[in-house]
Amino acid sequence: MISTIYIEEEVATHPRTFKILERFPDADKITCKRYGEIFNRKSQNFRLQKKQPALILARKHKGFILPTPKQYGIGAEHNYYFSHMLNCLYDCRYCFLQGMFQSAHYVLFVNYEDFLEELQSVTNQHKGQAVHIFSGYDCDSLALDPVTDFTSEFLPFFEKNKHALLELRTKSTQIRSLLKRKPIQNCIIAFSFTPDRIASALEHKTPSVEKRIQAILDLQQAGWQIGLRFDPLIYTKDYDVEYEALFKTVFTNLDPESTHSVSLGSFRLPKDYFRKLEKLYPDEKLLSSPLSEQENMISYPAELRNDMLDYCKKIITQYIPIEKFFPCHDSI
Amino acid sequence: MINLFCALYCEAEPLINQYQLSELRQFDLFRIFQSEDKQVTLTITGIGKLNAASAVTYHHANLETSASDVWLNVGVAGHKSMAIGEVCLVNKITDNKDLSCWYPQILFQPSCKTEALITVSEPSTDYEQALYDMEAAGFYSIATRLGTSELIHCLKIVSDNDQQPTEYINKTMVKDLLIKNLDVITGIIDKLKVLSNELYSISRAPSCYQAFIDKWHFTATERIQLERLLRQWSKRLPDKDVIKSANKLTSGKSVLRHLQTTINETGFVIYD
Repeated sequence: MISTIYIEEEVATHPRTFKILERFPDADKITCKRYGEIFNRKSQNFRLQKKQPALILARKHKGFILPTPKQYGIGAEHNYYFSHMLNCLYDCRYCFLQGMFQSAHYVLFVNYEDFLEELQSVTNQHKGQAVHIFSGYDCDSLALDPVTDFTSEFLPFFEKNKHALLELRTKSTQIRSLLKRKPIQNCIIAFSFTPDRIASALEHKTPSVEKRIQAILDLQQAGWQIGLRFDPLIYTKDYDVEYEALFKTVFTNLDPESTHSVSLGSFRLPKDYFRKLEKLYPDEKLLSSPLSEQENMISYPAELRNDMLDYCKKIITQYIPIEKFFPCHDSI
Repeated sequence: MINLFCALYCEAEPLINQYQLSELRQFDLFRIFQSEDKQVTLTITGIGKLNAASAVTYHHANLETSASDVWLNVGVAGHKSMAIGEVCLVNKITDNKDLSCWYPQILFQPSCKTEALITVSEPSTDYEQALYDMEAAGFYSIATRLGTSELIHCLKIVSDNDQQPTEYINKTMVKDLLIKNLDVITGIIDKLKVLSNELYSISRAPSCYQAFIDKWHFTATERIQLERLLRQWSKRLPDKDVIKSANKLTSGKSVLRHLQTTINETGFVIYD
């Protein structure tokens, strides 16, 4: 899977680096000063690199835990996100990472201890208040878990800090490490979904909707709290039929009690990212969707967007109480 | 297009023969050879980083290169312990003078070893566990400004090591090393060509674009809109002849309006 690993000199002797390198004895190992020498270089092609991404082991120096944009959240006043990794194993055509990064290589920041220290400091600032911490925006939280040990290193922090809630956003079925441990009630495993036919067209290399539902069932049975993220909503001619079928499949299979929250947001991308995607994938059908530009964002025209969101909200709230429903505000 | 760069004629000769290249006599600053179909071009850079960088610039300035081109520096190099004749695709280039580094992106399984390389300013026999040459840093630093980094590589054949240092190298030996490894070299070029073809296929304008440009007037901004609309048309209305549809319109602006309106009125299905 990974045939090249770049290692920042600064983390060459980090214990996590040794552990990861042990898993890839045949990989080409190349030292570098800073990951940006590889990751941020211009003239790279994301589409070509996606064929054979390398792993870059690096140290993050600052900005470990960041506040989320105001419109994102699932009920708390204080919301933060963090990314122990940049880029994703999967290849979803709507993903903003393709527009944001020059490179498709995976960057793994191995200095988890610094993330945990800042997590402590951030949660201490909000003692007695609910703080939500999101993982899985710049990467998939679980897809590389067997390599990164991300969950086993970070979950103990949330076991001790109950007022902080962690959301692990994922499409992955790599849940073995979660099933091995006692569930933590302040950790939400949030799976994102699009209807089967849309997923087949756009979500390359991802587990099928059926496999994701099976992973959810296994997690719920083990006592984990689940989140459902229907974001991005994708328009197609019979979107209502497609989404209604998806909601029916998902909600009739899952235990509504251990479904923590459901969120909804329509497809949107910053204009610059969208234009970059057009260059990378000129034949991609998604990019010829009925879209419009507003305030440097490309999204569905307001009327269509609202129709889709209203329709989906109506169906979703037939299955779950409205208190568990969280629309993403910038798209409603 | 494949752009090859060798420091010396004896390194280039086997490639010139392999790809049946003829010298382009109009260029006198650096010797440039090209295949009849113009798909393979080779420039002899001369020895040293500055020569390599200048040759790449000269090559680019005089030939029509594009972002989907392959750029390959082929030549001999020293190494502390690798056997003479070993071929390596370079995975890291360090300029010994200012310690600048570059990391060629290898997106395929090469049929040879991969190794780091140090570019030195003077011939050296102080070998370490890396390849040593005198051109790669100059070649790569300029080529990455002109091309796409995944398509820019350095391929080196070990010509000297601790046991058999540089004084044993001669033109015949170098030429023989290249000849013996032609399969590896051409194999890597073929793998790069696959990536190059993919990039070419996504970078070219829709097939009917030129017909529109020839028939109607479009401003620079309108040309960008036209290209985008023609791509959308091919995805949304693949069975409808776009030229025929717009044929009777009298201005570029009315064509753009027509394309946009027709696309908007067409139902959109994201899956095939």
